[in-house]
Amino acid sequence: MAYSEKLIEHYENPRNIGSFEKDDAGVGTGLVGAPACGDVMKLQIKVSPEGIIEDAKFKTFGCGSAIASSSLVTEWVKGKSLDEAGEIKNTDIAEELALPPVKIHCSVLAEDAIKAAINDYKEKAAAPAKGEAAE
Amino acid sequence: MSSNDNHKGEGHIHTHQDSPCWSCRGSVDQRAPFCHACGMIQAPRPGDEFQRLGMKADFDLDPKDLEKRYFAFQRKFHPDRFATKTSREKQLSLQHATDLNEAYDRLKAPLSRAEALLESKGAGKQDQARTESDPELLMEAMESREALADAETADEVAKLEARTRMEVEVSEEALSVAFAADDLEGATNIVTRLKYLLKLLQETSRKRLSLHN
Repeated sequence: MAYSEKLIEHYENPRNIGSFEKDDAGVGTGLVGAPACGDVMKLQIKVSPEGIIEDAKFKTFGCGSAIASSSLVTEWVKGKSLDEAGEIKNTDIAEELALPPVKIHCSVLAEDAIKAAINDYKEKAAAPAKGEAAE
Repeated sequence: MSSNDNHKGEGHIHTHQDSPCWSCRGSVDQRAPFCHACGMIQAPRPGDEFQRLGMKADFDLDPKDLEKRYFAFQRKFHPDRFATKTSREKQLSLQHATDLNEAYDRLKAPLSRAEALLESKGAGKQDQARTESDPELLMEAMESREALADAETADEVAKLEARTRMEVEVSEEALSVAFAADDLEGATNIVTRLKYLLKLLQETSRKRLSLHN
């Protein structure tokens, strides 16, 4: 199977690998996984007070397509508003990287990860300071 | 001959559950692979893995019993027995043999057996597509993968591997308890955890081997 050049480029030189402190007020963390293949993906965003995503980082343990998908998403979301970032669809990712049909679920994972990160940020922003969700 | 069968409009291999014997038209028990009246091989009927091996749908099974049943059925459908038969009979026996192999493989390993059992009970299938399961589970999976990535010596990796192996064993025992209590939701959660654990185990072995070389 031939993978696209863009996919290989993101896989070999992934952008924005790393972590932010997840308890920081401006940070939203999305943690998702694919039980079927055991992949786990963490995607974090750093949001400015104006609601713009200033920076994004990811850590993915999974196949090349999952790594490339999350790498691409961290590039795409930078400079976007939360609403704009929330509009990213897995089909956009799959198209950009020319993912083969068996790897479409990797782009779904990346879409769900950015959505989860946005939700996490919004929940934190809405909650009163120091308020922790009940266990 | 199969060409004659086609003339009679019986060319389809997949018959209905209640269909009579394709050869003698006598009625056949739903599960029977061979016609009671004429002994002709029948098309495989829909059924789960446990039914294929004539076993009670249960997570706890005796591996020796499973193996015995598998070999007994395998003999019945062995290609040698059908060497002189019509192409239709050959084809049907091959289908049975394939189904049987798949069922055996699935029931042999605890994880896939648990999945087969959940499916036979109508649960668990949709869990595959879920990306946001239990946050604690995902956190655990992420942290253990990070620990593995950070491990530098073969010794550290071997320790992680041993711990993971123990976690797998504990999870398999927990599955047995959950199924015994008919706790399908609990079993589904353990299945998901087990998948991440087995993936971790695979990665630890891989890293240990690469550090040895």
